Amino acid sequence: MAKDKIKAKIQRYDPEKDQKPYFQEYVVEIDRELTVHELLTKIHKNYDGTLAYRAYKCFKGMCTTCIVKLDGKTVRSCATRVEPGSEITIEPAGGGALIRDLVVDFKKM
Amino acid sequence: MDMKTYTTDVVVIGGGGAACRAAIEVSEKGLNSMMLDKGRPGRSGATPCALWSIQAPFGPRGRDQRDTPEQYFEDMVKAGRFIGDQNIAEIVAFTACDRILDMEKYGVHFKKYDDGRFFQTPMPGQTYPRSCFMIENGQHMSTVLAKEVSRRDNIQVLKDFFVFDLLKNGDVVVGVIGMDLLTGELVAVNAKSTVMATGGYTSLWGFSDNPPTLTGDGVAMAYLAGADIVDLEFNQYYGTDVIWPPSVKGAVVLYELMIDEFADGEITDKDGNIIIEKPLPIRDEAIKIIFETIKAGKGTPHGGVYFDTTLSPKGEDAVRDVFKNMTPKHYKFLIDAAGIDLAKEPLEVAPASHYQCGGIYINGRGQATVEGLYACGECAGNFQGANRLAGSALCDTQTTGAHVGGCSADDAKNRDMLPADKSNLNEKKELVNMFLSKKNKSTRPLFIKEEILKTMDQHMAPFRNEKGMEKGLSLIQSLSEQLENIQVPEIKRYNFELEEALEARLMVDAAKITFGSAMFRKESRGHHNREDYPDTDNKNWRCHTIVKQVDGKPQYSKRDVIYTRMKPQD
Ligand SMILES: Cc1cc2nc3c(=O)[nH]c(=O)nc-3n(C[C@H](O)[C@H](O)[C@H](O)COP(=O)(O)OP(=O)(O)OC[C@H]3O[C@@H](n4cnc5c(N)ncnc54)[C@H](O)[C@@H]3O)c2cc1C
Ligand code: FES
Repeated sequence: MAKDKIKAKIQRYDPEKDQKPYFQEYVVEIDRELTVHELLTKIHKNYDGTLAYRAYKCFKGMCTTCIVKLDGKTVRSCATRVEPGSEITIEPAGGGALIRDLVVDFKKM
Repeated sequence: MDMKTYTTDVVVIGGGGAACRAAIEVSEKGLNSMMLDKGRPGRSGATPCALWSIQAPFGPRGRDQRDTPEQYFEDMVKAGRFIGDQNIAEIVAFTACDRILDMEKYGVHFKKYDDGRFFQTPMPGQTYPRSCFMIENGQHMSTVLAKEVSRRDNIQVLKDFFVFDLLKNGDVVVGVIGMDLLTGELVAVNAKSTVMATGGYTSLWGFSDNPPTLTGDGVAMAYLAGADIVDLEFNQYYGTDVIWPPSVKGAVVLYELMIDEFADGEITDKDGNIIIEKPLPIRDEAIKIIFETIKAGKGTPHGGVYFDTTLSPKGEDAVRDVFKNMTPKHYKFLIDAAGIDLAKEPLEVAPASHYQCGGIYINGRGQATVEGLYACGECAGNFQGANRLAGSALCDTQTTGAHVGGCSADDAKNRDMLPADKSNLNEKKELVNMFLSKKNKSTRPLFIKEEILKTMDQHMAPFRNEKGMEKGLSLIQSLSEQLENIQVPEIKRYNFELEEALEARLMVDAAKITFGSAMFRKESRGHHNREDYPDTDNKNWRCHTIVKQVDGKPQYSKRDVIYTRMKPQD
């Protein structure tokens, strides 16, 4: 497949230094359809090491630790695919206190 | 960096099945404990990824009245190729039923016959069908256990908490030091007993069906604290994990489901020839067949074999029902993440890293060879031997978890609280500063981790030889020299790269001693296949491999296996 792009607007926020959350746009080159989780991993590795998201999880659809809001809808990022060429918005999900970027403090178990 | 200190009777590291069960037992004994988990208890580690199968010899209360704890014990010893310590195997086999009943009491749902007996499935290596059936699989088991933990006031849980070293007072382990990822604080937990329940080292390998968190931290920390580590050469590979497409690489599909009672499909080579005959072999034999098929040039386009249910005489709908009933979440994940319907099309699968048979050496009470330290579950080492049976691992988490948790609590009652040595604490703080400080030529921990995984995949596969392992070991050694070049950003909250840096430090040690152990054992047995020593050598090697740190260097030796009920016949 020829190189294609995904445009991802991702919510960033570090309560230690930012007044309020803002969006940052990443244009990511991809060569196949991938999961939201794969996309975040790619951004963290190749574009921006400071992006906080939960990378410690099962990758099997089992733990729901990977949930994010994709275009407003809460999804498991490891089990949700994005098409090459699409434009998406990713925000934190889960309702707990915002720790940084996409990471929230999951409520007591 | 600021440091916070907690004090408790018993500190348990981990949040999987073993950690939860150990903490529950400490609580039953009326002592306080803290449970520290890199992720979120009940949702981290291998336990939530597991399937339905947990062994217990219920006999007349289960599917086959002939089954007994003695038979379970015998099956385990044989599958372990006679190098599992039998004093601990006895604890697993003889307390399994009671622990399953505990789980049921906590709220895990088991499939039953109408008359109340436990429904059990047959799995390779079980003389009688012995795998109890958890209806909602490991995922439900782990959330139920975590809930039981949270119900108890004398257990305090810290989640998103990465433990990176043990603390010592002289030769005694007196707790741990870690980082609270949510706040960015360094935290010391001072305790009378310290229980490792950190799971396996399976994700030291790139192609693994385990969560990437399982990097052998517990083994590495115990090793660095001077404890004996045992049999690390026996990493169980699982035969049929998805190799393609990449979005679901490492997802497990069970070859054990291919028996006629279930899906009745086949494992085939690229031309559709059946390669695994029924009755199905146990795991070490299954992976050998698959590797040989691939080596002989009969592998699929992406280097695996086919998991093919379309060959089942039962037809697509019946096969789909099997997956939907037995492993519903695993089945649906492949559909969601890759658009693959297991009942409809052959899937490319290959052996991937699955389970750590070795680990921290423990005695019959779960004590490591360093005072104050205990281990249970997958990170404990010397009872599986060279291979493990399906459904044994989850059973270990409950049996050894409860037993070792209980012993650690009993001992804590008779132990004074010792503070950590000041110099010891300062050393650990320095470590964190080292990764935060500016470097001229810096690297990211991610790159070091990736190299470790690649090296393990390449040189520590189930078939290995001296030359390859020497190469692998020297690569790991050079990676360990690069640790000091790591530089991570100074971020307070959720500094994931700092965690990865501390993790990489432990990973190089875990990898190093895995290579060393595999080079030390000059024979083939169970999951350790030496191309240069292809035969099993019972005369010289029916024993444990022990590695221990002496003057900063690994020292390898043999140790006799403990036989109680069943001595090898020759
Ligand atoms: C896909 C899959 C399917 C399986 N299916 C079955 C099955 O059907 N039957 C069966 O018997 N077995 C099965 N197994 C094996 C079984 O699930 C595991 O052996 C078992 O769950 C291990 O439990 P544990 O509590 O010892 O470790 P884990 O459940 O792996 O838990 C380890 C815990 O330690 C934490 N941790 C690790 N390092 C640190 C650190 N440095 N600081 C703080 N916390 C840390 C982790 O976050 C985690 O909470 C399967 C395994 C996999 C991967
Ligand atoms: S990573 Fe566990 S559900 Fe997505």
